[in-house]
Amino acid sequence: MLTLITGGASSGKSDFAERLVCRLPGERIYLATMEPFGKENLSRIARHREKRKNKGFITVECSTNIGSLVLPEGANVLLEDLPNLLANEMFSASGGGGENLTEELLTLSARCASLTVVTGDLFSGGNHYEGDMLLYLQRLAQCGNALAQKAALAVEVVCSVPNILKGRIP
Amino acid sequence: MMIFVTGPQFAGKRACIRQLLGLSEEAFAACAVWDVQEMADPDRLDEIADSLCTKKIVIATEMGCGVIPLDASERLRREAAGALACLLAQRADTVIRVCCSIPQLLKGEWPCASC
Repeated sequence: MLTLITGGASSGKSDFAERLVCRLPGERIYLATMEPFGKENLSRIARHREKRKNKGFITVECSTNIGSLVLPEGANVLLEDLPNLLANEMFSASGGGGENLTEELLTLSARCASLTVVTGDLFSGGNHYEGDMLLYLQRLAQCGNALAQKAALAVEVVCSVPNILKGRIP
Repeated sequence: MMIFVTGPQFAGKRACIRQLLGLSEEAFAACAVWDVQEMADPDRLDEIADSLCTKKIVIATEMGCGVIPLDASERLRREAAGALACLLAQRADTVIRVCCSIPQLLKGEWPCASC
């Protein structure tokens, strides 16, 4: 089952996604996309790990090339988060460009019991971007839209409250 | 009968409404206007809203959710866009918000292909 969670910064979308995945039986994998370097990233990673400590997640780090990632079959996977993963794919030295990210995520989803993807609303600020940033936003939106179309459940989290775009919360 | 559509940039607003109403690209272009946030002249908002109401479908992109712009003209532009969207939503029979390509009904009834 594919689930897409979106929302603004600090809207509670990660907490919501974690609660959702924690209800599912079986193995839980937290697919962490943040590159583990730099002071800010490391402290954010430590904070998130602490928050997840007793929730039964195995953390797997994957900041680029998610298409070649091998995970145990049949796990419940929480991917956090799509904007970060695409930025790594497009702008990091080890990234593959991100052109095929949607297909790679759908392939991953087919091998999991469930895949829950956290994305974000970067599209309501009224800014006029150009060049690489515009391409990044277009690609992120395309990927999010395509995943929402395939998803059984799509939720926008607003001030920690789920606004269900599609499907039913199990 | 006007349908007002809003939602984030690149959310697939046009494609979604076109599909909902079963319109060809040509038919859609003939009865719809989009990116109306760019038309928001702060001195003529009511007049603009009235004239846009002659269209069947009016589409605006949400642009008010970021940091307040440092530039005064950008601030004015953003506020005018928000105010115009409110006027359009008030005049509309149906308001739909599209997020991640999925439509949600905020006001009125779901339009159908035969409407």
